[in-house]
Amino acid sequence: MLRRVTIRLVLVLIFFVVLDRVYTYTLFPRDMENLSPEILEIRKTQAETDLYYFAESSNFSTKKGDSIQNSISEISHLFFPRLKFTAINKPASHAGTFLKWLNEIDPSESKLKALVVTLNMRSFNAAWIHSKMEAQLQESLVFTYPFPNLFNRFLLSLKIFDNITEQQRDKLLRAEWQNEKISLPHPSKYKTVLDWDFAMAHGGHLKSDGTWDVAKSTLACHYIKAYALTIREDNPRIKDFDNIVQWCEKNRIKLYLNLMAENVQYADSLVGKDLVYLMHRNRDFLMKRYNKGICSVVDNMDLVPGKEFTDQDWTTEHYGYKGRMIVGKNLAKHLKQQFNNYYYNAY
Amino acid sequence: MLFNSLHFLFFLPLVVSLYYFTAHNYRWILIFIASCYFYMAFVPKYILVLFLIILIDYISALTIEQVQGKLKRFYLLASLSSNILLLAFFKYFNFLNDNLEFVFSFFGKEYHRVNLDIILPIGLSFHTFQSMSYTIEVYRGRQKAERHLGYFANYVLFFPQMVAGPIERYASLGQELKAVHVPVYTNITNGLKLVFFGLFVKMTIADNLAPFVNDIFAAPEKHSSLDVLGAIFAFSFQIYADFFSYSTIALGAARMLGITIMDNFKTPYLSKSVSEFWTRWHISLSTWFRDYLYIPLGGNRVKVPRWALNIMIVFMVSGLWHGANWTFVVWGALHGLMLLLERFSSRLFRFEIKPGWSFLNVLLCAKTFLITSFIWVFFRAESFQQAGDVFRALLNRWDTDSYYVMLVKVGSIGVLMALLDIFLYGSRFESRMNTLPVLPRWSIYFILFGGLLMFAGIQKFNFIYFQF
Repeated sequence: MLRRVTIRLVLVLIFFVVLDRVYTYTLFPRDMENLSPEILEIRKTQAETDLYYFAESSNFSTKKGDSIQNSISEISHLFFPRLKFTAINKPASHAGTFLKWLNEIDPSESKLKALVVTLNMRSFNAAWIHSKMEAQLQESLVFTYPFPNLFNRFLLSLKIFDNITEQQRDKLLRAEWQNEKISLPHPSKYKTVLDWDFAMAHGGHLKSDGTWDVAKSTLACHYIKAYALTIREDNPRIKDFDNIVQWCEKNRIKLYLNLMAENVQYADSLVGKDLVYLMHRNRDFLMKRYNKGICSVVDNMDLVPGKEFTDQDWTTEHYGYKGRMIVGKNLAKHLKQQFNNYYYNAY
Repeated sequence: MLFNSLHFLFFLPLVVSLYYFTAHNYRWILIFIASCYFYMAFVPKYILVLFLIILIDYISALTIEQVQGKLKRFYLLASLSSNILLLAFFKYFNFLNDNLEFVFSFFGKEYHRVNLDIILPIGLSFHTFQSMSYTIEVYRGRQKAERHLGYFANYVLFFPQMVAGPIERYASLGQELKAVHVPVYTNITNGLKLVFFGLFVKMTIADNLAPFVNDIFAAPEKHSSLDVLGAIFAFSFQIYADFFSYSTIALGAARMLGITIMDNFKTPYLSKSVSEFWTRWHISLSTWFRDYLYIPLGGNRVKVPRWALNIMIVFMVSGLWHGANWTFVVWGALHGLMLLLERFSSRLFRFEIKPGWSFLNVLLCAKTFLITSFIWVFFRAESFQQAGDVFRALLNRWDTDSYYVMLVKVGSIGVLMALLDIFLYGSRFESRMNTLPVLPRWSIYFILFGGLLMFAGIQKFNFIYFQF
């Protein structure tokens, strides 16, 4: 019986190997196109790309009615027309996603000179870490698993990746807000994010007639939940950014962490100085940690005025044309130090 | 736990291995733990609902056996009403509220509805019906009450069929669970074949049709008539593939433990009439309704109008069993009406379906498929509005562009399903395969294996019948 079983298993294995080859040359490109276009783009472009720009939606989101639709990476590229820039974007992506993308680059085949990675402060917060979009992001990365393509596809059909339910994510999120202590240089009225959020949600802003300003209070609550955190070493994003830096050090690729502009103006007017203090303290932590050696942090944090943000009733890093121009120019200024010979004064 | 998950692919071999290494006297403990674990992978706390059902029916059956006369009837009714109330609370509470609200507002009165955020425990309709059949059988004296609580619990909880059937009777599953099973090579391989085939049908056929059906049913008005027609047929294939695959995997998992459970499907779309369809589709539910509702109502041993009423009652209750929505009731009622129409017209025209596969019989199969497909619209639609939109969209526009979607997506899967049904007509997958010579047999295995790996749907969908 053992012989019988072994023969069958060997036959299945041989068949699998043949099938994997057939799949790789036939349906695999289409599956990649549908599920992981970013990975496909990296694999296709790495031989001729000088600079990759890895980003979430901040790169390309535009304001309705913007006369100029260029993304941040396109604006920066205008200053270096002789360099080949390739932007790889996916909404809601973060350092963990960027690291997976980076691992797709084969240093021996690539002529990569620099890498720009979006450093989005909100991506360190609990809401982003436990975002419902995480499952979709993880799904797009299954084809990077170190198994045969056909096996990876089977894993996809069984949903074998970080695919916990929305209820479980909500539970984790609430627990983290409950545990995130508000640490300020002076004694704080609120112990946790939830305390602060609760206080704001119950009469944080009043209208001139004394009634409760629901819209303003709700927006203020979003700001609290987005920025009231202390980025520490144990934050999962820190580990991923550390790995990105390590990869760049190992392969001698200059790294730019593009710290995105946040709506500091609104944070101040809606919530107050305490929240702005936390935002700046987190910025300083990131600058201190990463602005050295092969890595430069491009600090855009306070550069974009509040009204230039596309989403006026939510916390995002989506900017109108003027905002994108500010960030794009600032990045170009930093890139000029490395690519002075390629620089062209576009504006 | 889902059958189409990695979790199950590890769980099943582990349980099977432990089962055969465990002494017979202790196997019930293993099955009990495995079944609880299987169920608790969904919503752990709802296992308590199952325990309650088990306790109620276990005690009721023991009591029913010991008493006589009106008291016996009283205990039966108490047990049945407890089961039905439990089911009604979880499944029909909000439905009842909606209807009361409608009735009150119709008469211009205000109704203060009580909103409960209830999630229906997965497979509750299956558990209650299975458990109720046991109590009724004990009452009728056809079944001895089980003294061993563990065996009875396993009858309700048996993991391969606990979530979506087949709805087994104690006389068969209870005995199977008690019997001594030794590891038999063919049981394991036949079981594996069924599990593998079930996974192929679910993941490659049902899960590939689901996104297409969902898109079109979500906004039928935006699609051409051909797309909508395609979606109607696609849903017919999807629900069959989905439910048939579940039953096949259940059958295979049980077989690996040496336990035989009943067939729930016998190539239903090859039925020549609606009445034949119901002897081939969800057989365990049809026979449940036949034995515990249709026959007690008088069956066909009554005058014709009463018989017609019995048919309508059975089908409408069957519709309601599926879901707390009037669309399900209409779905059942339409099946009842079609069945009556068939019976009356065959009497009127003295028409009898002859056995075999004549051209006429093929046409009759096509007719049955068309009827059931159009009636499925009420089953799939979330409201009458949506069902109406789907039917209205059939008159939208006949775009030539849609031929691609229609022919490639639905057509190819339809052909595949038809071939599978013809292949399986009158037999199960594993027994049919075992009759084939080595070369064609292994060719089919490889085609299915390749199909599963290369074409399995990437979006994963729960088994449709889980919601019932």
